[in-house]
Amino acid sequence: MAITDQERYRALKQTKLNHTREKCAQQGYMDADDYGSVPLPDGYKFVPIPPDGDFYGYAGWAENFEAFIDNHPVYVDRLELLCGRWCDKLTAYRKPDTDVPLEQRAFPGDRFPYDELLAPVYLYGLDTAIGSDTHFCSDYRIGLRLGWGGFLKAIRQGRVRHAQDPEKRAFYDAEEKTVLAIQRWIARHIAEIKRLLVAEQDPALRISLQKMLECNRNVIEKPASSFLEACQYMAWFNSVSRMYDRDGAGCDLDQILLPYYEKDIERGVLTRDEARFILANLLLVDTHYYQLSGCDLDGNDMTNELSYLTLEAAHELNIAANLTVRYHRNIDPDFFRQAVAYNFNDRNGWPRFSGHEGMMKYLNNQGIDQATALERIAVGCGWSAVPGRELPLNDLVKINCARVFEVALNEMMLSAAEAPKDVYYPAYEPSLERLSHLFKKHLARAVDGLAKCLEFHLSHMHQVMPELVMNLQMRHCIEEGLNVSQCAELYTLCVDGVGLGTVADSFAAIEQRVVVEKKLSWEQLFHALRTNFKDDERTRLMLKNSERYCQGGSLGDKWAEAVTQDFTALVRAQPMSEGKQLVPGWFSWSKTIHFGQQVGATPNGRGAYEPLTHGANPTPGFRRDGAPTALANGIAMVQPGYGNAAPLQIEFDPKISAEEGGIERVAQLIKGHLDQGGTLININVLDRDVLMQAHENPDSHPDLVVRVTGFTAYFCTLSPEFRQLVVDRFLDGL
Amino acid sequence: MDNASCTGIVTDIQRFSVHDGFGIRTSVFLKGCNMRCAWCHNPETISFEPELLLDPAKCIGCGQCDQGCYSGARRLVGREMSAEKVMREVLMDRAYYEGGGGMTLTGGEPSCQSDFARGLMQLARQEGIHTAIETNMSLPVDLLFPVLSLCDLLLCDVKLWDEQAHQKWTGVGNRLIRSNIQAADELNIPIVVRTPLVAGVNDEPEQIGAIAQFAAGLKNLLAYELLPYHALGTAKLIEGASPQQRFEAPDKQRILRLAQAAREARVPVRVAGVALEGV
Repeated sequence: MAITDQERYRALKQTKLNHTREKCAQQGYMDADDYGSVPLPDGYKFVPIPPDGDFYGYAGWAENFEAFIDNHPVYVDRLELLCGRWCDKLTAYRKPDTDVPLEQRAFPGDRFPYDELLAPVYLYGLDTAIGSDTHFCSDYRIGLRLGWGGFLKAIRQGRVRHAQDPEKRAFYDAEEKTVLAIQRWIARHIAEIKRLLVAEQDPALRISLQKMLECNRNVIEKPASSFLEACQYMAWFNSVSRMYDRDGAGCDLDQILLPYYEKDIERGVLTRDEARFILANLLLVDTHYYQLSGCDLDGNDMTNELSYLTLEAAHELNIAANLTVRYHRNIDPDFFRQAVAYNFNDRNGWPRFSGHEGMMKYLNNQGIDQATALERIAVGCGWSAVPGRELPLNDLVKINCARVFEVALNEMMLSAAEAPKDVYYPAYEPSLERLSHLFKKHLARAVDGLAKCLEFHLSHMHQVMPELVMNLQMRHCIEEGLNVSQCAELYTLCVDGVGLGTVADSFAAIEQRVVVEKKLSWEQLFHALRTNFKDDERTRLMLKNSERYCQGGSLGDKWAEAVTQDFTALVRAQPMSEGKQLVPGWFSWSKTIHFGQQVGATPNGRGAYEPLTHGANPTPGFRRDGAPTALANGIAMVQPGYGNAAPLQIEFDPKISAEEGGIERVAQLIKGHLDQGGTLININVLDRDVLMQAHENPDSHPDLVVRVTGFTAYFCTLSPEFRQLVVDRFLDGL
Repeated sequence: MDNASCTGIVTDIQRFSVHDGFGIRTSVFLKGCNMRCAWCHNPETISFEPELLLDPAKCIGCGQCDQGCYSGARRLVGREMSAEKVMREVLMDRAYYEGGGGMTLTGGEPSCQSDFARGLMQLARQEGIHTAIETNMSLPVDLLFPVLSLCDLLLCDVKLWDEQAHQKWTGVGNRLIRSNIQAADELNIPIVVRTPLVAGVNDEPEQIGAIAQFAAGLKNLLAYELLPYHALGTAKLIEGASPQQRFEAPDKQRILRLAQAAREARVPVRVAGVALEGV
């Protein structure tokens, strides 16, 4: 008897779980997105050229990518309809820059020195973009229109046009090598499909393998002409861009695929069930970020049948998926409700919700029109980009604001301690005003330091690490023979602050306990911080239980707004070279642990080196009732207002959905936040018992998926520190 | 005194309250109750006076209790607030009240502070906010109905059907309660009748069936809701007060049997917010 769709879905999910176990065994804790990769086969080995990974520039990357992909295993599962999956990435073989311990990234500092940029990096705990990859969004419409053959043609035409320019010739040679290598990889898959087809006995799977074969015979060269081919093309692009340098930016999936879907349905060559299965397959191939729904320029809802089918596909598999529903005031209410309900039914952290109104604040940047702002979609962990046009470097550039605060406090207190005792020097007196002034001064220096790092990175990106895969789907790159860093239409560059809650609560605690109530002197406070509250738990608790951010109308809320205004103003005022501007956001990713390790005890009662607050979220335990509405209000008030995210991360107990009107309540919460200008909501629905069991023994629930920050991950793949973060947030939400 | 400046004693204000009415609500817990239910899960709301809630496990032994406790071992519950101040907090969640949400007055027994409760209800109405009350319905008409007349939803308890048993377990008989509920039915606002299910007190099909029959006679009945006992109240230690008596929580089978008994009266039955079919 032929295999049924349901059996296939179940088998695919089981394979996925097995892969996760194997990857964990191979890689240990991953502390990152699941990415959809498959385990490395036994005996797999790649040696870069040269073997120490010191490769760079067009020729170096093309040569290595070619060798890498020619060596990379093929992946065809007879139960699937799409093929190709990645298990290794080229960036892992780059030579690390051991001279810069703050940075995890590889950058050839010996060739392009940047020592003079490092002082603020060390002082303020900056996360610079230097040496980083991707974090922009290419435009799949370009690739679907051209196909791999079309890319080659455009590359070769460009090479002829720019034959006199040696750097551009090198660019085109590298791009050509890249596309040819990808085509060879696809050809190896075609050979594997043929081999499987010969051996296949199941009639349904024979038909399916035949479809896979025909599809790939077309896709290897021609533009996609059917729904299946469009999805297969996207799957290839997703896999190769991951293998090249970990790109995960997707597209507005339900819009981009709609013409193919409608045409195939009309021709009678596709059913809803088949489309759902193909979409599930696409979600299985990789966890790229896709947006669903949204509205057009006139506010008309764009929810369509594919919006529903994509959610249904994710539901059938019920694995990690990075789907974002773009909420707007005219959204199809049934679709919106269904999207909320999936969070509770499937409990795997999808979909997320982005806010149309908040995201349209991208208009506040110079030179951005309505159409461009609308094009900017949620395609990253906590970020958005205009596909094919923008180089935002989102999520790469961060300021440890708690560290900036610490530097300011130290300067104030140490200068006061050193002041002559026999003469009155008002400037040395510690005060909230002086602390706030020093915080702004150091924050300005941190922003300036980051801006210089960004300029440096952009000026060398094409020489160090060109985006040979992503360039294919960016406007102007192939036409002009330039890397994306040289020809993006929009350089709206991200600067994220980290530790808003820690800083706001610290200011608030000082105002309440030192300035207003006078329970502590400045010196007592400073002593308590420097000794990490040793033998002084009462002082720590007094500070910790001050009026905190997200309580509603509290001192913490006041300071969170003030810090946001200062941060936003400084980032916006930072001069940049022509055509570039900085865009502020509050997004920590999972840097809360790393950045926390740079900061001693803080006046909000946080112990030395403990994690900072997450994204725009408050300190756990911010209110006794943990009211999600208070959380949502507080975070709506600290949106920087230029289109980048200050996400709301929220945890729910599944019981809420069982109650009459439970889903509607959560939907109302989402609406309420996003209508107030919120940009992004990440939701976890976790059963307390399951979570605690999995925390104790991660292997007890191998299929438990959580949204850690903007990304989802299998809980069992997270290190104990990351698991603890999720558990703390969850318990706080109860 | 106008509505805004009238004051009362408030135990707590809980935002995103999802158990006391439709939608997302802000529950305002007024302090003080005329009943003494043996199973009360909010014993800190019984006294009309501010008092200390104790949690010895949190004590850090600093010995400076008189200068303020920051550990949570001694927490003052109950503060005098003006209606205007309460309303400021209620309005913080206005963005989420769309879809039926709003403010719920609860307690304690809110109508024990009748003027204050009425002031709050009037302010909420002026703001166009949906109003609900959770009440034991045991107070005289002249205290109760000025508040009820400003409500959009009435959540009222019939804890036991038997008059004497009601007197025994709550300190108050239920005759007035029943007549008040019937009178409130004339206000033409939706009514949810609720019964806390306490093992050994009222967990008999006859008790529940009788209350359900009574509820079935109300023309504005929205649902009859059973609220299984939980021992939350026993964990709350109040300075100078005896610990709460602990009861057994009814098991799921028994809850289902009682819910079935209630349904025989042809009323919509819910258990802790969940429609019977979903239990």
